[in-house]
Amino acid sequence: MDEQILIEKLKQGDEAAFKQVVETWQNMVYNTALGILQNAEDAEDVAQEVFVQAYQSVKTFKAESKFSTWLYRITISKALDHLRRKKRKKRFAYVQSLFGTENQTIIEQPDFHHPGVVLDNKERAAILFKAIDHLPENQKVAFSLHKLEGLSYQEISEVMKTTLSSVESLMHRAKNNLKKWLEKYYGRG
Amino acid sequence: MKDKEHIQLEVNKTLDSFDDIQRASANPFLFTRIKARLLGEEKSFWSRAVVFISRPAISLSAIAVAIIINAAVFFEFRSESVPTTQDEEQVFASEYNLSPSTIYDATVDQQ
Repeated sequence: MDEQILIEKLKQGDEAAFKQVVETWQNMVYNTALGILQNAEDAEDVAQEVFVQAYQSVKTFKAESKFSTWLYRITISKALDHLRRKKRKKRFAYVQSLFGTENQTIIEQPDFHHPGVVLDNKERAAILFKAIDHLPENQKVAFSLHKLEGLSYQEISEVMKTTLSSVESLMHRAKNNLKKWLEKYYGRG
Repeated sequence: MKDKEHIQLEVNKTLDSFDDIQRASANPFLFTRIKARLLGEEKSFWSRAVVFISRPAISLSAIAVAIIINAAVFFEFRSESVPTTQDEEQVFASEYNLSPSTIYDATVDQQ
């Protein structure tokens, strides 16, 4: 079915159209969320939230951008919100452990293994994900969209509603920061 | 400290470790779960209203507004209440026959 017709049907609340939308873009949404959150359960949770919001607010979607671009924006916004909530909880748990109000120990996040990574690169990719986790939000988003989703800088600029030169700058800074972190990581070991 | 060249090699290899990465696949039951979530979100108007009202920001603001209105009404009425005049008291006393009786009045009544 043509994308435009599909969106029109979705706007009318057609369930079959919604099912097709989910089936068409579920891997894109899930993979993007997974790259940012680095946790399969959280990524699935966010993917569900994304499609629920897309269904509820599809009437506000104007065909100024591609539907996939609109979905990317919702996914990134939801994933970053989820990440911030998680970090807040982690900080709160840390403070609680300092004051001894809770007898729980803070569990270190295990290494994240992306299911799409080639087996030979598994360990190195886990280290790279650890490094990505230390990047500022916008650098993390740009890097993930480029490396995990294979988007061009132009497409990233449309998703992030910014200029091409800004994306180039973000990617340059992201790579430099990752290099610094990795140099420290390997220099220590 | 390890050899700088060796570290640089490791860094480059790690940065290239995302090459040929495949897209991760979502759960095949994702649509069923989304549908269940949508059904769960279709709450009645009143349950949503209760959730809205019970938000701390909303309920505390409502309490603050109620206190301000009460305080305003209290101070407004207090400033308006002036002592009753002598004339009004006399009219009231004569209407309800509350004027103090004298010995003269008592003897007149006996006659």
